[in-house]
Amino acid sequence: MKFLPYILKHLRRNWIRTGSTILGMAVCIFLFCTLRTFLRAMDDARTLGNVTRLVTRHAVSLVYNVPLSYEGQIAQVPGVKRVAISSWFGGSLPAKKESQDAQKGAGHGPDFSNFFTNLAVEDEPYFAMHPEFKVPDEEMKAFREDLRGCIIGRGLARQFGWKAGDTFFLESFIPPYRRRQGPFEFVVRGIYDADKVREPAADDRVMYFHYKYLYESTGQRVGAGLYVVELQEPRQAATVAAAIDRTFQNSEAETKSETEAAFRADFIAMIGNLALLLNSIGLAVIFTILLVTANTMSMAVRERRTEIAVLKTLGFTSRQVLGLVLAEAFTIGALGGAIGLGLSVLIIRAMTKAPGVSGFINGFPNFGLHWSVTSQGLAIALLLGLLAGLMPAVSAYRARITEMLRQV
Amino acid sequence: MSAGPVRQPAADAIVDVRSVRKVYHRDAAEITVLDGINLQVPTGEFVALMGPSGSGKTTLLNLIAGIDRPTSGEVIVAGTDVGRLSESELARWRSRSVGFIFQFYNLIPVLTAEENVELPLLLTSLPKKQRRERALTALKVVGLADRARHYPRQLSGGQEQRVAIARAIVADPAVLVADEPTGDLDAKSAEEILGLMESLNRDFGKTIVMVTHDPRAAERAHTQRHLEKGVLKA
Repeated sequence: MKFLPYILKHLRRNWIRTGSTILGMAVCIFLFCTLRTFLRAMDDARTLGNVTRLVTRHAVSLVYNVPLSYEGQIAQVPGVKRVAISSWFGGSLPAKKESQDAQKGAGHGPDFSNFFTNLAVEDEPYFAMHPEFKVPDEEMKAFREDLRGCIIGRGLARQFGWKAGDTFFLESFIPPYRRRQGPFEFVVRGIYDADKVREPAADDRVMYFHYKYLYESTGQRVGAGLYVVELQEPRQAATVAAAIDRTFQNSEAETKSETEAAFRADFIAMIGNLALLLNSIGLAVIFTILLVTANTMSMAVRERRTEIAVLKTLGFTSRQVLGLVLAEAFTIGALGGAIGLGLSVLIIRAMTKAPGVSGFINGFPNFGLHWSVTSQGLAIALLLGLLAGLMPAVSAYRARITEMLRQV
Repeated sequence: MSAGPVRQPAADAIVDVRSVRKVYHRDAAEITVLDGINLQVPTGEFVALMGPSGSGKTTLLNLIAGIDRPTSGEVIVAGTDVGRLSESELARWRSRSVGFIFQFYNLIPVLTAEENVELPLLLTSLPKKQRRERALTALKVVGLADRARHYPRQLSGGQEQRVAIARAIVADPAVLVADEPTGDLDAKSAEEILGLMESLNRDFGKTIVMVTHDPRAAERAHTQRHLEKGVLKA
């Protein structure tokens, strides 16, 4: 510890160079932590998901609806306990949110900056098979009695400041879900809490409304986006999924049934090999910063050859000199890592609230800077510092006093 | 920590150089810088080593200070044969036994005068308060206590050299070695530095071995020895 002031003073010697190196390291750790947070959120989205439920969708693409007539047939498949329609509405608030003047709201285009997930569901079977969503009985009753009613998650209510009785409008960008008379009007009838202990993937930033409202408002022409199927026995997932798909084999709308986790994985895979891309970016940044920091440390040591000779003349051992150079590099790593982590915390928090991206980000379960990512980020920063300081430190270790003094 | 091989020096000689040769190799060529040097410096002596450039003065000084090793022969300083110590033992020995004064002061620019002087004490187990007290005492000895918080860039050349002398004496070594300590100074500052060195020798009993080109500086020493082509003249 007694050498710390000496190390810090040396770092301040060329503060522009030290500062820019620390900043570079900070940006590297920030990028690493942010990218890892995304990858972790994607992994969670893949692995989390209730195994007692299947998702049955159109075999070709999610874009196509599944006929409503399938619901009864799916319910007949052995091993199926319940079936519920769930259609992704894709609704956005009009550019100017209206709760009092409905006609005004109809005149504006959708505001994608406040996008959130909204699903048209068959309320009774859907909520029965999703016990992780806790809704007070009286609110659920009010919801069922109002065709325009909706249930929103606690997070969504917090985000928009909505409470029971509030009215808002949503307009879908999906053509079959749009109607001539303008956006759909909804009334908040209940707010649910997501039980993350029971179901880690449970999201409290989703809005649920009556499928019947969607069906009737669009002239009874739309099918089901997908069916959520509750199993009697989780171990039968593969068998039941195969049985459902077999039922609709060679029909006009063949189905693809899979567990919720597999469905999430498929959904994310539509983005492409994002994991590879993000990992590649992360590695490239880390390698670049390693070179930059190593160069900084080499320059710092080269400029101080006389000082190193003086330290050794005064009685510092080669190991102590090596330790001082490594400690300097380590300090750069630690400071850069700390700043990078701080930046990550701020930016990740900001992203969950920022218009435009928050809707996408909040769709991931457990999105946030996890301690394991933080530890990895800090470890990489310290390791980068040490690696960058290694060569100059060894050079200082090996340097002979007389040779260094002669070069002055 | 090993005290190193203890050897019996010549009677009363704190520095005892015996039959020392120093040879450098440049590619295939062999350059003999010191050839059979014998030098005894009694305790409390102030010796000036003189000679033309390339005569081996600095090399001999480096051997006495333990920052270089002889090719053959023995260099015994304060009872220790420095040539037989390992690198780390030699470093520890230097921190205790020798104070080095450079021609170009070689202060650490990012440290204040006080911190520069304190530097050798970081290698001891002294607590911070005592280290600071001893550094201030050393600065008082060289007459720069009021400049303790100044950085080297805020000091004149003469003042920088005085801080360097304070750094050399702060660990209370038995021997001071100085490599042209006035070589980078104007006449007035050189005079002050030589006066200070005389005082350290006279009042504090420090044994001083000084390399110099300057005959006036050499006159301040008790003894003058001349080197020519690696051989010490009588």
